[in-house]
Amino acid sequence: MDEYPTGSLDQNIPLLLTLGTSARSTYDPKLSPALKDQAILIRSELPALDTVQAHALLSYVENRDASFLPANGRDGARRYRFRVKTAERSFLLPPRRARLPDGIEASPLPAVLHSPYSPLSPVSPLYPDGLMDTQWILKHQDFIPSVLLCFYDLVSEPSLATLCDNKIKTDVNNLRGLLSQSGYRTRLAVVLLSDQALPSVDGVQERLENIRRVCGLDPKALFLVPPNESQEELERMAENMLTTLYGVAVEYFRDLGRHSRKKRGRNMAPQPTVPPTSGTSQTLSLAGWNVRYDFKSAMFAEYRLEMDNALRSFEQAYENLLGVELFETIPSWSPRWNDARFLADVIAVRCLRCLLWNGQHSAAARRWQAHRDRVAEFVDRRGRGTNNYGWEAWEARWATVMANLIEKAEISDFAPSTLRIYLQPEKNVMGERLQPWELLHHPGYWYHLAAKHLCARRDLAHAMSEDDRMPPSFSPASHVASTAFTYDTYMCPQPHEEYPINSVQGVDHSHKIIECLMRARSEFLKRQQLRFAAELSLECARELTLAKSWRNVVELLRSLWQDLSFRAEGWLTIAEDLSWALRSAATVVGDASLVIAIDWELLSRSFTRRTNWHYDITRSLEGMAPQPRPKVCIKDGQLLPFVATSFSFGDEEGKAGQSTLGQLVIKSNAHQGSAPITLSNIEVKLGGSVSRIVLKHEAASKTTQHKHGAVKLSAVPLLDGAEGAEKAEPGHPDKADRKVTLHGAADLTLLPGQTLVFVMEIPLREPGETRAVSLTLGVESDAFELEHSLNFGEGSGVANIWYISASATKRIARASPNSVRVLPRPPKMKIKNPSWREQYYTDEPIELEFDLINEEVVEAIAKLDVDLFGEDTPAFSAEIDGHDVDESSSTSIVENDESRLQGVSLGSIESSHSLTVRLRLPPIQRSSRYDLTLRVAYHLSTDIGTPIMQTAVFQLNIVNPFEANYELLPRVHPDPWPSLFDYEGVADVSGDNDGAVASSHLTHKGLSQAWYLITRYASFASEDLRVMDVDIRLQTARTVRCFASKRDTAPGSPPEDAGGGGRVMLPNTIVEAGFDIIAQKSTLDDRSPATLDVSLVIKWSRCPNPSSASRNSPPINTTILLVPRFSLFGTEPRVLATVSYGLPTPVAVKVSPSPVPPSLLPRQPQLIILHVVIENASNHFLTFGLAMEPSEDFAFSGPKQTTLHLLPVSRRSVTYRLLPLGNKALPPSTPTTNVFGGAVLSNWIKPSLVVRDKYFQKVLRVIPAADGMKLDKDGGVLLWVPPDVEEDPEEEDESSSEEE
Amino acid sequence: MATAIPSIACLGVIGRNNNPLHVALFPSFDPATNSFAPVRTPLQFSLLLSSTLDIFELRSRHNAANSVGLSGDFGLLHAVDERLAAYGFETNTGTKFVVIVDMRGRRIDGAVAAGLVDGRGAEKRIGAAAVGLREGEMKPVFKAMQTAYIKLLQNPFFDPDEHSPPAGLGGKKITNKKFADDMRRIGENWTPGVTNL
Repeated sequence: MDEYPTGSLDQNIPLLLTLGTSARSTYDPKLSPALKDQAILIRSELPALDTVQAHALLSYVENRDASFLPANGRDGARRYRFRVKTAERSFLLPPRRARLPDGIEASPLPAVLHSPYSPLSPVSPLYPDGLMDTQWILKHQDFIPSVLLCFYDLVSEPSLATLCDNKIKTDVNNLRGLLSQSGYRTRLAVVLLSDQALPSVDGVQERLENIRRVCGLDPKALFLVPPNESQEELERMAENMLTTLYGVAVEYFRDLGRHSRKKRGRNMAPQPTVPPTSGTSQTLSLAGWNVRYDFKSAMFAEYRLEMDNALRSFEQAYENLLGVELFETIPSWSPRWNDARFLADVIAVRCLRCLLWNGQHSAAARRWQAHRDRVAEFVDRRGRGTNNYGWEAWEARWATVMANLIEKAEISDFAPSTLRIYLQPEKNVMGERLQPWELLHHPGYWYHLAAKHLCARRDLAHAMSEDDRMPPSFSPASHVASTAFTYDTYMCPQPHEEYPINSVQGVDHSHKIIECLMRARSEFLKRQQLRFAAELSLECARELTLAKSWRNVVELLRSLWQDLSFRAEGWLTIAEDLSWALRSAATVVGDASLVIAIDWELLSRSFTRRTNWHYDITRSLEGMAPQPRPKVCIKDGQLLPFVATSFSFGDEEGKAGQSTLGQLVIKSNAHQGSAPITLSNIEVKLGGSVSRIVLKHEAASKTTQHKHGAVKLSAVPLLDGAEGAEKAEPGHPDKADRKVTLHGAADLTLLPGQTLVFVMEIPLREPGETRAVSLTLGVESDAFELEHSLNFGEGSGVANIWYISASATKRIARASPNSVRVLPRPPKMKIKNPSWREQYYTDEPIELEFDLINEEVVEAIAKLDVDLFGEDTPAFSAEIDGHDVDESSSTSIVENDESRLQGVSLGSIESSHSLTVRLRLPPIQRSSRYDLTLRVAYHLSTDIGTPIMQTAVFQLNIVNPFEANYELLPRVHPDPWPSLFDYEGVADVSGDNDGAVASSHLTHKGLSQAWYLITRYASFASEDLRVMDVDIRLQTARTVRCFASKRDTAPGSPPEDAGGGGRVMLPNTIVEAGFDIIAQKSTLDDRSPATLDVSLVIKWSRCPNPSSASRNSPPINTTILLVPRFSLFGTEPRVLATVSYGLPTPVAVKVSPSPVPPSLLPRQPQLIILHVVIENASNHFLTFGLAMEPSEDFAFSGPKQTTLHLLPVSRRSVTYRLLPLGNKALPPSTPTTNVFGGAVLSNWIKPSLVVRDKYFQKVLRVIPAADGMKLDKDGGVLLWVPPDVEEDPEEEDESSSEEE
Repeated sequence: MATAIPSIACLGVIGRNNNPLHVALFPSFDPATNSFAPVRTPLQFSLLLSSTLDIFELRSRHNAANSVGLSGDFGLLHAVDERLAAYGFETNTGTKFVVIVDMRGRRIDGAVAAGLVDGRGAEKRIGAAAVGLREGEMKPVFKAMQTAYIKLLQNPFFDPDEHSPPAGLGGKKITNKKFADDMRRIGENWTPGVTNL
């Protein structure tokens, strides 16, 4: 809107002028000089107020200025709109009536004078036939206030009050008089600022009324502001005042509107003050006057914010203006033609604003187009046509105006946050066939449109012939005349100024275009239309290029070029356009790296080929001499690479220490005919132990090459980069030793369209996955250095292809051919255990011996880890041959069921040598199972980088070598029991203290019992064991004394081995051992039961192995087996039976109720003598009945039925003699086999002896208490009958020996 | 009197990765030279098509936020200026169809156009009267384009992933001749009011 005269397009707002307050700047409406000397001075005589209160009120009122409010009707809260200006004491009003111009004779009649703005007055530029100009618009907007607001002080001092009031009255009346003299109907309003709290309301009211009456003020136009009001109160008052005043202003404009309607209603053209004498002497026609009146009505309606009325009047004025009677009649050469066109523009703009105000957006867009089309049609038909720069200038202006209007209207739906591109049409046009453009788009589009027209303007201007561009003073008059009709110069310069010849500065088209484009761009960016914004940037850059503003081009395009979504998304034509534009700018600016990068990218055949371009990267810096030599690093994805690359491994997996084939394929997609590119080096980054492969260019390289078509296959030998890495990275020696770089040399010249294939043998070092990660191409020339990294991706066109030869390829079926799985190097270290045993036994110290045999070809430096895993793992220690290992490092750490020994250095093991490692485990108590893992980690002295691992797992079984069962049999103690009544015996012995042993023996005077313990222990070992000794250990309560003595041989024990002592036990054999136990209580009084804990101690050793005979004899181990607890000294009476054969020897038991006749004894060798001993350990006197049943098997002598009385703590015995009878009927057999043959056997007899407790009537069990007796199933006692001596003398021998 | 009516200036098929799959340009009638010529250069059409992607993104974000717009017809994307307007359609696999309409691409006799111009007095008087577009008048075009695209997808030798890789950027253009012919037919045959292509 800038190009239209100031104020011509702005929205009209009533002017409020304040008077009587001092202000920083007073309002100067800038009257034209001609009018200034006729102007009417309105002056207040009173001094301007300078109080705080007045300033506060004034500044609030000034802040409510509505000039910059958005032009829309939404702001309902605001009930008034004022343009507020401040004059201190005086201001000028334009004259109401123009003077008669000088030199015109006064006519006889008094001249009718008109407003100086009217075409009727000769002083007006419109005189005599002009329509309307900006001055009139300014008249109401700037010059004549609708409301004049005067500030006065209301003095409360009673003595001064009347005087002051009178002064105010005089001043107001004076102002009123001046205003009415001027002829304007500006409304006067007065604000009275009271200086202190007034004493009484009535008095003030009266004073106010008085002032109002004397001044003839409207009651609505007098305001009183009390002093010391708070800011809020003041604001509230000011709001009320302004609202009231707005009503007054609206009234003022309504009067004016009514006036102009009245004039239109007269329907006649007024006569000018002086009839025109110059020009056509034509005056403004009636139609013209009607346009004026309609326009005025519309403007006044706009002041009143009655937009509908304003729109109607504007449209009427517009139609009339462009109607047949007016516009059509104005000759196009006349300046009035352009004036009319200008007025049409103004009216159209104001119409558009009204439409936007009312929210009729589509109607606005349509109205915009309609005006454009209409004017175009006029210009085409009557004017100078639309095919010249002037028209395009107007078009651009027209689009800009629309953009500005939309911006000014601040349409809420267009707020950038809504991201709306365009607005939906109003409901009333919804169903119609709408032009898409009629949906109102956001200002960015309008600015873009303006920019496009500006471009067209420039093109048309540049198309002008040189003759036309000559200044008029230089060209012949005839030509000037013809030019005048060729070019439309409505609001734009003459041809010679538009595009002057001789390179004089003309219109800066580029500047205008760029300005428009940048504004559009910012609008698009606000709404996240990034691509559109990029497009505008591109257009902008094109303009800047034309303007040779290279630096700005680079600045604008560099970021676009860098992140270029066009390239990534495949809009290559756009990317290409941008690249070329940027390149040309970068060349001039001297940004060498950018030029190289762009040239590098443009080599790709994806872009269209420029015909006369060299496409030689080495020449891209021609004409530039950048210092220092630029180095360009291009990362993957930054550019569209013109090479397709892939790296494939020949095998899917390989082993560490071996090597595999790798193939690097580089395919050039450069333009055909572009210069060959010589890569200085290629670097392949691998993820794995080999970190890099570097190929250097060597033109005359000795590599074998095969060529077929466009494919060149070369085998490149690679050198290990030990010293090469040193050279390449002198600064990082420590890095170089970890990661290996391989070096090779080949011819790296890449012709366009050629495919280079490099076959390399890559050693694999570390197990894991080795993957080709990225590739860096390096180009080095005298002028620059370039590095382009590329990742090996899936997408490149040459992936998955393996070149068997230059002419033959095959497809690789693997998923990722650019990686190889490296398996660990197979270890050749052997871990052996020659003397491994299936079983180890508890309670023996275990020594395990391992041989580590190095079967590698070179010496190995090894470390050993040992893990023992199981329940309750013991700590163990390791011993290595030929090494002094300190304790701490060679002893394992136990934690959580795991015993671990780590990192025992084994030193170096020579090739095909072996090393012995011994592990020592302490004796283990329980049978258990452990997993023993030996791990030897080693590396070869020739290849330090590759760790190798050998692992061996052994299972350690630890078992109990022996198990045993036990039987405790009662025996009759031979010594007599101490008598309860024998006081002396007890006392006598206790006093005898003669020696330690004797005393311990003698102090025990209690009951004693004899027992016989039989243990049968079995060997559970898997091999022969040598049992050195068997013993028992006894443990009883302290009141009981126990002795044990081992019987020499138990029946069935294996023969003693003469060699090593002890006896050899075969696996799964049972050996029996017997022990006599004698227990005695310490005192007779103690008759409580006692317990006996026995443990069996077996001393044994392994049988010495014949293979390891040279060794020391194996150690003797002790295995202790716990025997279940036995109970002794029961208080119940017990019946013990013993047996003896042959002649009854005089027994210790003296009590025998029926002595055997001695005559029988010598002749009866089979005579069996049965002693029955009844023990009464209780404190009671007991009576027992004994009954012996007669039997067919034997004859017996002794009491058949008898009664025994037992004193407390005493025992008695009864003796029977038995003679077996039935043995001759049945043949004798070995006693062991016939045990369970029947109730009565040939050599066992069963006497049915019943012992009954008389008192309790309870049968006591008879317990066999000697060899040769046993119990049968029913609990009866069986007696063994020795066989006949005559019949079987051997057995006789045997049995007799046993009896000993 | 001759009246300008809309015609298709450009048909664009844009892949899931915002990559151009197919672009067909159609000449417009130029009253100055009385001949047919494209109104813009191919580069400018590329820029126009790419600028619609902004709006596709805005709309789909907006639709996702309001959970509407499952139909895929985006209607008018924007009017670039008074002549060119872009309409868009997105399939549920992310392929986008863009129609750029030249509002003054054809010129027909005024009498014929009278049926299309809906009695707007202002326009009747102006020589270069233009016929607008109703909402939904692009539907047959999109339908035809989708049919052609589906036909293309049914071709066993056509690999959609090659043209719009699922992960990554860019993709190949569609070179199928039949598809190109279909596009050409659609672009040439459409005029306002056509319901079946």
